[in-house]
This record gives sequence, structure tokens and C-alpha cells, in this order.
Amino acid sequence: MTATENSLTNPAIVLEPPAGSRRRPRKSKHRPAWEEPPTVGGAIAKFAALALVVLAVLGPLYTIVLTSLSPQSVISEAGGMVLVPGEITFAAYQQLLDGGVVFRSVVVSIGVTAVGTLISTVVSVLAAFGLSRTDSFLHRPILFVFLITMFFGAGLIPTYLWVSQLGLIDSYWALILPGAISAFNVLILRNFFMGIDASITDAARIDGAGDWRVLGSIVLPMSRAVVAVVALFYGVGYWNAFFNAMLYLRDSAKWPLQMVLRAYVLRGQPPQGTTGTVIELGAGGAVPSLAAKMAVMVLALVPILIVYPFVQRHFTKGVIFGAIKG
Amino acid sequence: MAALDAPTSPRTSGDEPKRRAGTKPARPPVRKITWRAKLRRDRSLLLMTLPGVVLLVLFAYVPMLGNVMAWEKFSPYRGFLGGPWVGFDNFLRVFDNPLFLNAVQNTLAITVFQLVLYFPVPIFLALLLNSVVSPRIRTTIQSIVYLPHFFSWVLVVAVFQQLFGGAGLLSQTLRGLGQQPVDIMTNPDTFLLLVTSQSIWKDAGWGVIIFLAALSTVDPAQYEAAVMDGANRWRRMWHITLPALRPVIILLLILRLGDALTVGFEQLLLQRDMVGAQVSEVIDTYVYFQGVQFGDWGFAAAAGLMKGVVSLILVLGANKLAHVFGEAGVYKRS
Amino acid sequence: MNTTTQLGQVGEIAVQRRSFLGMVAAGAAVVGVPSLLTACSSGEAGVTAEPGATAGTDVLPTYKEIVFAEPDFPSVNGSTAGYASIPADLVQSVEEPPGKGTEFTAMTPLWGTPPPVKGNKYYDAVNAALGSTITFNIADGNDYGTVLATALSAADDLPDWVCVPTWNVPPRFASEVVPNVFQDLTDFLAGDKVLKYPNLANIPTAAWQWSSFNGRLYGLPFPGEVINDVIFYRKDILDGLGITPDVKSADDLLALLKEINNPSAGVYAAADLWNTSTIMHGVVPKWKLVDGKLLHRVETEEYRRSLEWNAEVWAAGLVHPDIDTAWNKELFESGKLLVMNDGIGGWHEALGRQLGTNPSYSQQPLPPFGADGGDPVYYKGQPANIFSFLKKSDDPERIEELLGIANLLAAPFGTTEFDLVNNGVEGVHFTRGADGLPVPTELAPTELQPTYMFLVAPPVVNAKVQYPGFVEASSTFTADAAQYTEEPLFYGVQISEPDEYASIGQPFVDLEKDISRGRKSIDDLDAAVETWRQSGGDQLREFYQGILEA
Repeated sequence: MTATENSLTNPAIVLEPPAGSRRRPRKSKHRPAWEEPPTVGGAIAKFAALALVVLAVLGPLYTIVLTSLSPQSVISEAGGMVLVPGEITFAAYQQLLDGGVVFRSVVVSIGVTAVGTLISTVVSVLAAFGLSRTDSFLHRPILFVFLITMFFGAGLIPTYLWVSQLGLIDSYWALILPGAISAFNVLILRNFFMGIDASITDAARIDGAGDWRVLGSIVLPMSRAVVAVVALFYGVGYWNAFFNAMLYLRDSAKWPLQMVLRAYVLRGQPPQGTTGTVIELGAGGAVPSLAAKMAVMVLALVPILIVYPFVQRHFTKGVIFGAIKG
Repeated sequence: MAALDAPTSPRTSGDEPKRRAGTKPARPPVRKITWRAKLRRDRSLLLMTLPGVVLLVLFAYVPMLGNVMAWEKFSPYRGFLGGPWVGFDNFLRVFDNPLFLNAVQNTLAITVFQLVLYFPVPIFLALLLNSVVSPRIRTTIQSIVYLPHFFSWVLVVAVFQQLFGGAGLLSQTLRGLGQQPVDIMTNPDTFLLLVTSQSIWKDAGWGVIIFLAALSTVDPAQYEAAVMDGANRWRRMWHITLPALRPVIILLLILRLGDALTVGFEQLLLQRDMVGAQVSEVIDTYVYFQGVQFGDWGFAAAAGLMKGVVSLILVLGANKLAHVFGEAGVYKRS
Repeated sequence: MNTTTQLGQVGEIAVQRRSFLGMVAAGAAVVGVPSLLTACSSGEAGVTAEPGATAGTDVLPTYKEIVFAEPDFPSVNGSTAGYASIPADLVQSVEEPPGKGTEFTAMTPLWGTPPPVKGNKYYDAVNAALGSTITFNIADGNDYGTVLATALSAADDLPDWVCVPTWNVPPRFASEVVPNVFQDLTDFLAGDKVLKYPNLANIPTAAWQWSSFNGRLYGLPFPGEVINDVIFYRKDILDGLGITPDVKSADDLLALLKEINNPSAGVYAAADLWNTSTIMHGVVPKWKLVDGKLLHRVETEEYRRSLEWNAEVWAAGLVHPDIDTAWNKELFESGKLLVMNDGIGGWHEALGRQLGTNPSYSQQPLPPFGADGGDPVYYKGQPANIFSFLKKSDDPERIEELLGIANLLAAPFGTTEFDLVNNGVEGVHFTRGADGLPVPTELAPTELQPTYMFLVAPPVVNAKVQYPGFVEASSTFTADAAQYTEEPLFYGVQISEPDEYASIGQPFVDLEKDISRGRKSIDDLDAAVETWRQSGGDQLREFYQGILEA
């Protein structure tokens, strides 16, 4: 594996081929001038490895999407996941989006995810920076306050009783506050903050900048990548969460998307052991087809597919070094 | 936590003298500083940690008090202090079962396999991706490989079944060739490899993200300088890229050790019938089947507390170990 | 690297091990409930001060049958009555709306997407008929056990009316939950008092008995059926192969399976037939009385033989390898496996899914048979599978109002109330087809989700006349099978076992799989039974022996 041919982190270097470059054996416009071209063997190995990785993901994804677009007859023919495209229908999606329940829950999910991610990220960044200096006051005890929560959890019943005591039953805050802080994410942020060259921050301090200024105008701009990653972690966490909603939300009109999708996928599943006789499922209880289940999978991916590229930009671009180092 | 302190800044260029982590030149470690002065100096930092601490106290520590139920035969109608108190009975019950040892063994085996086989994969993948020259191809691949993370375990296992199960693609192909079909999904001997491959398929692409973030902090000027000095690509990787990743690798490694006793509950539960409890029973499933499903909250709390203690010890130990290998730690102030 | 899955969390996440693809939930952990699958082997968890106290006749409501429509296939030995057509004239069984305009809340599970609450014409219509408003707190049926267990711990926040499925009954339910949280209904319904609520009096006594805890009446039942498990085969496919099954013994069945197995074409003979095996071998649900001494099911010869038979089926490669990950019904309906065990309710559901696209689809039950060629034994299903409970109240009028509402909701087949609760409003949620059969409108799936019926229900009937020949086939089969029914020991009595024995039956859940699939041999059964006896099985036997002799 030829791994470090190029780090491509500085757009200034990457995008403009330097004038009068020293050597230019290959015509790749992205290759930095200083980098030697890859060997043929290396290039082939790299290509093969990447192709394998991509195929391993796209193959199953293909059958999932295809199955979601197949009518029952094609699925029955295939006896499960569809590999060979037959008739294509959007019926599963139509069925899913009918009635407006999904739409309403998407709005809820977006709201909870946006507010939750904002709160979690801001609080975590502050905490991580506050803990980024090992000689600061009460540094170690506070660090342990965060660490301990990674190893010791609270049981379901105590948590439920406490949240209910705080009056958060049926409130959206119950979906955000109980899990707002992940010590893991705080440690990741802290790790990156501590990796910033001390001479830069120290210089600012000598110029009279306080900790808030240092965080805001030096550390944060240099840590866009990791902050984006942590925000992504939190965002995905909120988006996928359903357990708190299941426990704390009584009013089904407040259900987030994942709850609705779960309910949809599981609907008509006869309760185990009762063998299904007793439950008259009513008109709406038709057991969903495999297509519908796969459509749910695909539908849940869509928002991620939309958001991810924007986030990715931040953690691949890197930092503008020159401006700071000056 | 050793790993929590970056040993050297990845951005420090090579010609600068290495600095000990934890020391801040503009703030030389003044030993005789009074706590009042320290408090005054660091009040902004304290203020910054405050919201996080408040949230954790409110939503983690207060409910955590409920763990007293580990020492009682708990009922919500008697309250948390309502007893009856049973001493360490609940803890003993966790051990007092021939199935427990088996569960511990399986858990540790899976952890070791994942540490050796799974853990390095995202790092390699990140380096591989990073080496792709065209930004378009790179971002495209990147935005494909993370997708399986969003599939549920049910789907992941089903996908593997479709490929490697007794009626799966591999078996049917072998049958077509007149060979004996193989059912990898139900073979207890290869189960460790199977669960590790599943984890890799599901989460390795997602795990790449954090390393990409770390790689983005490398100043390309360093590479250029290294090339001038005649370093080839392997030397550049060794001396520039890997050091940039080292802090985050060590941090993740230590935290993974802290999770040594927690391995894919759902993933294993789903495959329990296929390979049998003998190889798929882990600590979490054991506690679930022996206690939780019967509402034995005291049992579950006791098991959770013990796991927490072991995890904490593992993390502190790993931290010490990192220390020995020259990674500076919070406890070593000079 | 994910440290959020502390035990405290993981522990409560239960995954249903049997329905697999059913759990494909978007990128999320799957939460289910401890299923009957496991609960069966351990009995009803919980403990009570008066173990197995049965409700005396002075506590149970008087049974008074009411029939509004004569069934075409009457009940035989308790089998489900069948109707070949929908009665043309419906009777209104409750004259005045029983409610007084009170606002009630109720908590029920739902296996479906939650309906809108505001502007829901179905809710509006039923609430109008009730005279009071019931607002539902709906929880996903597959998560209901967890939701219920937590909600019950904070009794003050509990809704007025709570549905409790038997498979979600939390531990120490009889000893702690019921007396602390729920209303004792004995003084409202015992003896002839129930006659004030004629539709409740129409519910069989066994169901009321099963709803009694600690000798008092607490629950409102949702009656169950006598015959639940059926061995289905794909008649259309077997017809195509020119095979007419004539199965009279375990050997016959094995021979049939071998004949139809064709793995190279991707077609397997069967799903896991463990349930089938236990039925034809006559394995008791829990205890068997031999010469006045109790034997646990795992100690019986029948249990051993059914394990051996099932292991033989597996060893012969007759079971589809995907049954753990694919949805068995999907495989069965697409013809990838040809024989499977299912609940009888699965029959018409399959027809509903398949007949539209595949009119020749046909599944039929194998007629009852015993493993040795003799008569089988069908142990009766529980008299009720779901209960509901009323939250404790100091106000007897409030309880009476709720019971009046329950009386309306329990109106049997052939009444306008039954029609409204099950089919909604004519012209809005359904239109009448030529045969009087309600045809759902497009609005129905959105608004009409089963909620009221989880509170209380009349005895089950079969009126699925939309599937040609189904009612007759189903009724004939259940009537045929019902002649072999037997009540298991301790039938219909709520017994709360001591806590400490809750998990001793657990290893057998794994052992059944291990032996069936050839990972362990039948000899391992002896060791497991020995372990079971020593880890509390013998004490458990004494506990039950005590109840038996009491």
C-alpha cells in the first residue's frame, strides 16, 4: 500500500500546479509537485483494494435498493432479496409516505437532531477545551467526572423515575438532555485540542488573549475537522435514537422518525408466543412486505446521504496553516 | 489518562526540539502557586466545563445512585432505600453459574480478535484513502464506505447469511459445481472470524472518519520538506503521517480496552441460535438471560457495577502502560 | 469503541430471537420484549404471598352466554366458531352511551403505525358511542414490555386503563404491581353483579379465572383460542409435485419431508419443526402428573423423543438454513420451504398477502396426528392472552363508568358496536361489499388501528369470509383438533413462582437448539436436567406439589 503519496490537505498547494514545477513526470493535476509518481504495482494494489472495499458496500446496497423497488411477485420469485431487476415499482415508498405520519415525524427528528447536536457540540467543545490543560485547577477531578460516566451507567428504572420526576415525560427535552454529553466525544475533542502546537496559543496569550479568545479565534478555527466529526457523531446519534422516545413520549404524535419507521417495519408482527390468533390487526395491520422493510432502510439513509457531504468537506479540507503560523 | 495528552504536536515541524507534553512554556509549571491564584487563573476554563458537568451530574450521576439496588432485592414500590438488603448476594449470583466462565471467555476472545483484526482496519483504510490523489474519487469512495454503519445488525447478519449461509450464494455456487456446500454462518469454529468480519464490514468505514480528521491536521509543508531531505514515501509515512495519527490511535485503543467486556450484544444475540450459546454467549447476553429478562434489576445493577470497575481498572492500567512507553500522562507532572 | 452500551442499557434491550427480518429497523438497535418463547420455559415470573391462590366461585362473574348471530360452524369442545357470511342485520347491544363525558387515558400496544389523534373520525365515532373520551398512549407492540415495566414503576403517572399482554407481565406482578397499582374489580363484577354488564357476562369463566390474582378479580380479559399451533404445508406446490400428504405418524412426516426436500433448487422441506414435534409427541406445557408425582416437561420421555425427532429432521438437511435470518413466512409463502409450524392466525394473514398476486396460493393444515400413529394431545391455550387493568381509584362511580365502557367494547360479533370498533364508520372507513363484507377504504389504514380492542374483547370468532373456503377449512380443522384437547395441569390459574427459580429453565432454550441442530447430543439432556434439579428444580416441584395438594 502506498499510503503517503499525498496528504492533499492544503487546497492552495493541491489545486494550483506550482509554476515552474521541479518535475512533472505524470499529468495528474492533483499530485503535488514534490511527490513522486506511484509505481505500477502500487497503483494496481491500491486500485484493487479500493475496488474491493467499494464493491463490498455497493453490492448489498444494490440488492437492498432493488428489493425496495420490487413488487411482491418479483420478491416471491427470488425468495427474498432481489438480485436481478424485474418489474420496478415505487409502491413501497408510496405506502410508507401515505398518511403524513412519516412527514410529521421527519420534522420532529430534524428539530430534535438540530437542537440536540447544537447543544451537545457546544457543551462538549467547551468542556474539552476546559480540560485541555493538565495543570489547570481541579483538572484531574473534573476529568474523572467525565470519565466515570463511560464505565458506570444508571439502570433503566432509576433513570425513568428521575426523568419523570423532572417533569420531562412527553417533552422533547427528554430526547436530548439525558444523553447530551458523551465523554467519549469530549475526550476526542480534548485530544485534538491538546495536539495544537502550544507555541501558537502561548503567543496569543502573551498578546493578552484570554482563554475564551484563544478558544474562539485560534483553537476552533484550527479544529474544524474534529469539531465536524464530533458534531456528526452527535447528529447521527440523535437521528438514530429511539429508546428515549419509546420510554418518555406518551403522545404518538410526537414520535420521531425512527420510532415511526420501527413501528412500520414491525407492524403486523404477531406477538411472539401468542401465535397471532388473538390480535385482530385491523385494516392497517397488514404485514409489510420485504420491499417495505427495505424501503424503510433506504429512507433512513437519505438524510445521512444529504448531510454527509457538507460535513465531509470540513474534515478533509484541513486547516489553513499559513494564516496562523504567518 | 496518558492518551488524553498528545505527546507531541503533530504540527511541530521536525527541526523544532521535542517538547514534553503537559508543559506549557508560556506557563511554566510554577510549583508554589497557591490554589487561589490557580483558581483565578483558570476560572474561564472551569466555567467552560461547568455546563457539561451539570448535565452529567443531573442525568448520569443522580440516576446512578439507583445502583444501590445491587445490594438489595429491589422493588420500585419499596423505593431505592426500601430493601430488603441482601449484601453481596446479587454479585455472587453473577459468578455462581457454570455459564458465566464460558461467557467471560467468549467475551475476551472476541475482544482480542477485534483488537488485532478489526482495530487496525480503519487506520489502513484512512491511509489508503488519503493516498488517493484525485479529490473527486477520494470523496466519492469516502462517502460510500461509511454507509453500512447505518444498517441495523439484523440487516448485516442477513446480508452475510445471503452470501455465506447454507442456502447462500457461496453454497449454491458450490452445489452448482458439484461440491459440498459450506455453511459458514453455523460453524462455531470460525465464529470469531465471522463476527469480526461483520464488524469490519459494518463499522470500519465509519471508523475512518476520525482518522481522516487527524490526517487533515498534517501540514503538507512537512512532506515537502521531507522530500527535500530525500525521504521516500514510506519514510514520510513513518515520520510524518503516523505520528500525526498516534495520539488518536492510542486514545481509541485505551478506550477500546475499557470496553473489553462489552462486545456486540445485539449482533451476538441475533446469531445465538445459529451457532449456539457455547460460542456466542458473552457477558452482556449472560446477564440478560439470567437476570434482566426476569426483571431482576438488582442482578443487572450488580453485573453493571462489576463491569464498570473492571473497565476502569483496564483503562487506568492501559494508561499506565502507555506511560511506560513514553507517552506522557496526566499523573506525571514535571 | 462505543461506550454508551453500558449494561444498564444493554440489559433492557431485548431482542426477539424468533422474528428476525421483522426487526430490520433503520440503523438502530432493536428492542423487543422478552418473548413467550422464553417465558414459557420459566413460567410466569414473579412471586406472591399466596402462591397459586385460586379465585373462588364467589369471586368469579356469572357466565351468561348471549348470541346475536348463529354461527355456521358452531364451536366444538371450545373451538372457534365460524361464520360463512356476515349477518345482514346487526343488533345494537348497548342502548345508551355508558360514559358521562369523562376524559380517560389508556395505554395499549400497537403493532402498526400510530394513527393521528386529532381529527381521527374513527376515534371520534367510537368515543361518541362510548359517551366518554379515551385518549390512547400508544407504545410499539414490540417494545411494550420495556415501556410497561418502566411505566408501572411510577404508579402516579400511569394512565387510567392499562393493557397488559400475558407475555409482557412484569416480574412480581401479582405480589407487588397488582395490589399497589390496580383496581380490585371483585366487588363490581363478582357473581351476578356482572349481569349489569351483559357483554362482560358473555366472557367465559376460564378467562375470568385467569384474570384473577391472589384470589381477587383484577383484570379484564381478551379471550384466547383453544387451538393455536398448526402444521401448514403448501398444498398448491405439493399438488404440483403430485403429492397428497397422508401423515399419520412422526415417521410419515419425516418421509414426506425427505420426499419434498430439494436443496439444489433452493427448496427445503421445512422450517424448524420443534413446536410440531412437541405437539405430536404430546409434550406438556409445564408439568405432568405421573402417579401423583409431578414431572417437569424437560424430565418427560415425550420431551426427549421430540428432541430426538427434531434432531433427525435437522441432521437430514431438511430445514431451510435461512430460518434464523429470513422471515419464515416469507420463505414459506415464496415456496422456498414447504412445511412450517405457525399460529392459526397466520393462515388468513398469508392469504391476505398472497391471494392478490397469486390466486392459486394455498396452504392447508395437516390433520391432527400423534407421533406413534395414535391420537395427538393438544394442550389448551391460555384462556386469555391479554388483560387490561384499571388504575386504582377511590371513586366507585369512575370504575363503574369504565366498566360500562368495557361492556360496550366487549360487544360480540353481530352487534353494531362490534362492527364499529372493528371496522370503523361505514362510508368513511369501509364500504359494504355484495356479500355484506366490509371493504376497507383508503382512509382505514391511517385512522383505524386496533386500540380499543386491546382493552377488552368478546370471545373470538372466525368470519374471514373474504377468502374462499377459508372459514370452513379453518373451522373444520379446529373442531377436529379440539376433540383432542386436554387441559394442562394448573390450567388457567395465575401462579407466581418464587423469584429464585426464574432463570433455571433458561438453559433449555439453548439446549433445544443445540440438540436439534446437532451441536450437542441427546445425552447432554440428562446432565442439563440434573443441573436443573439441583439449581432449584426440585424445590420448584415441591412448590407446585404444594399447590396441587392444597
